[in-house]
Amino acid sequence: MGKINQQMDQQGKSTGRLWIFGLLLLVLLLVVALNLSLGSVSIPLKDIIGTILGSPGIKDSWVYIVQSYRLPKIITAILAGISLSASGLQMQTMFRNPLADPFILGINSGASLGVAVAIMGSTMVGGMFLPAVSSMGELGIVVAASIGSGIVMALILLAGRMVKSSTTLLILGLMFGTATGALVSLLIYFSSPEKVKAYSVWSYGAFNGVTWQQLKVMAPVIVFAIGILFFLPKGLNAMLLGEDYAKTMGLNTRRMRVMILLSASILTGTVTAFCGPIGFIGVAVPHIARNLFKTSNHKILIPAVIVIGAIVAVAADLVAQLPGSQLVLPINVVTSLFGAPFVLWVVLKQKRGATSFNV
Amino acid sequence: MISSDLNIELQQGEFVCLVGPNGAGKSTLLRTLTGLLPVLAGEIFLDDKPISRFSRKELAQRLGVVLTTPVEVGAMTVRELVSMGRFPYTGLFDRMCDHDWRVVDEALDMVSAKRFGDRMVHKLSDGERQRVMIARALAQEPQVLVLDEPTAYLDLPGRVAVMSLLHELARDHGKTILTSTHDLDQALRSADKLWVMAPNGKVTCGAPEDLALSGEFQRVFDGERVRFDAVQGLFALKEENEGVALLEGEGEARLWTERALKRLGYRVDLDYQGQKEPLRVAVFSGEDGLQWLIATEDGHEVFTSIGEMSEYIKNGA
Repeated sequence: MGKINQQMDQQGKSTGRLWIFGLLLLVLLLVVALNLSLGSVSIPLKDIIGTILGSPGIKDSWVYIVQSYRLPKIITAILAGISLSASGLQMQTMFRNPLADPFILGINSGASLGVAVAIMGSTMVGGMFLPAVSSMGELGIVVAASIGSGIVMALILLAGRMVKSSTTLLILGLMFGTATGALVSLLIYFSSPEKVKAYSVWSYGAFNGVTWQQLKVMAPVIVFAIGILFFLPKGLNAMLLGEDYAKTMGLNTRRMRVMILLSASILTGTVTAFCGPIGFIGVAVPHIARNLFKTSNHKILIPAVIVIGAIVAVAADLVAQLPGSQLVLPINVVTSLFGAPFVLWVVLKQKRGATSFNV
Repeated sequence: MISSDLNIELQQGEFVCLVGPNGAGKSTLLRTLTGLLPVLAGEIFLDDKPISRFSRKELAQRLGVVLTTPVEVGAMTVRELVSMGRFPYTGLFDRMCDHDWRVVDEALDMVSAKRFGDRMVHKLSDGERQRVMIARALAQEPQVLVLDEPTAYLDLPGRVAVMSLLHELARDHGKTILTSTHDLDQALRSADKLWVMAPNGKVTCGAPEDLALSGEFQRVFDGERVRFDAVQGLFALKEENEGVALLEGEGEARLWTERALKRLGYRVDLDYQGQKEPLRVAVFSGEDGLQWLIATEDGHEVFTSIGEMSEYIKNGA
């Protein structure tokens, strides 16, 4: 009897979760549709599908705006939201720290440094990078950003083995961020004005600069790194208990760390390369997912952060458009305005020690 | 280097407690035995095969480990947590078959945690959570269970419950259990064998009673302020020989009065022929319940509670 109840309970729980997933997909569809329709030029919702398909009878300007501007922007936002949230989730589990995310731990800054070296370092290292960037196109920047973020992440990982306190780790991240920031400033100081301009435009963060051509690079790389993630839920769940327990359960923790490092730094590096450093999505979305699904099981959390990450990024972009005005805010302004209070709330909510994931 | 020249073994179905003063290296020894730390020299055998020759997964199927630190897994049900014990058996995607769930339920049953299988882990008490962590280790279906201070964060009833659970697992389920503990009293009562680790890293094995009789405990644990009382099997504060008390009285009242006097630094005797004047105390039941009497130079003082009496003695009888 108890067993049947238990199974029914479990079934009830999973149908409940399916409902939430369904609802989230609807919300995603809604924000995507709104994002397609709103902006400096409003396109009625009912004409959206026709516009995407370029059906006859739809204004040419609409088709142009949607197909070559809004559609790639939304796809970029979705990819970026997924990537940042997924790497935030992996890092929170690996560091066993609810505040870990690419931005806070300074991994973004590592990517920035990589990009800064790629864009501006050419004057200093005798044009080693610039030809590479121009010939390989965006791939050069992606590689540079991934290497930059990978290095910072490895450094933090090393430091994280020595210090256990989450506060210390956050301060370390801050220091890494400051140090890489200083190096970037140094590069800026010695660079020509047009390169500096290119760099600073990039550093505001935006989803709208990515072309279809660039998406052909960005999308497969991100799909690959997210693909890695789908092999990791078992190991990530084990890591929740801490590395020692994970080892005694037969997990190869070293390989696990390398996989997480690889996946998270490719994800962060790629997004940062194309969209600039974007804050707070990585830290906030895993918390939203845990609260919504009331679980820290990665089998559920991974698909959850993917859907929620996409929603948050598209919604942030929607807000950044300031519908009804001609103004467009940098995406970082929006994520920080909403994200900073959110992180404060997470910090204040922690009751039992600094490593809790309790919801 | 913590210790060398160790030659110790565990038999199947044995419940062994590793005891020793803080800093003797108990945790290090356990972490080495479970493969969490590398062996500096020598070899550890499991079923006559060196531990280094097992893969991590094979080892996890034979050896379950429970550590001191309370885990913070966030939102997870007890059953989910225990099901993680099936990791060494499930594939890359961790699909649980019916057999796996059956093992999980059995493990929950063994630690009598079945009724809170659907509760969230972070809502459990520390004692319940430690039992669940033991169930998780049991779900690995290990021959050997190694625990590092499983009772460290628990209150007294919790400690007794965990130790008797371990005893049961060894006796009724044939598990080989090695646990380190600070709780000598419990270890003496329930372990089949003790490993006593001295501060220099030397480990002595034997039945608890033998070790107590041979004086091994006293050697390892006697400190400046505490001594091991082999008669009662307990630790006691060392008497500072402030004086001698002669106590008259019977039964429970006498027993507790004696404890109070010991605590105050008196050696309690029935008969005394020394230089210094002893403290003479009597306890008897008068008309209004128990009364205590202390002799003074000019008569005696009467008290109605041990507290009052202690107060009087402390202020210089």
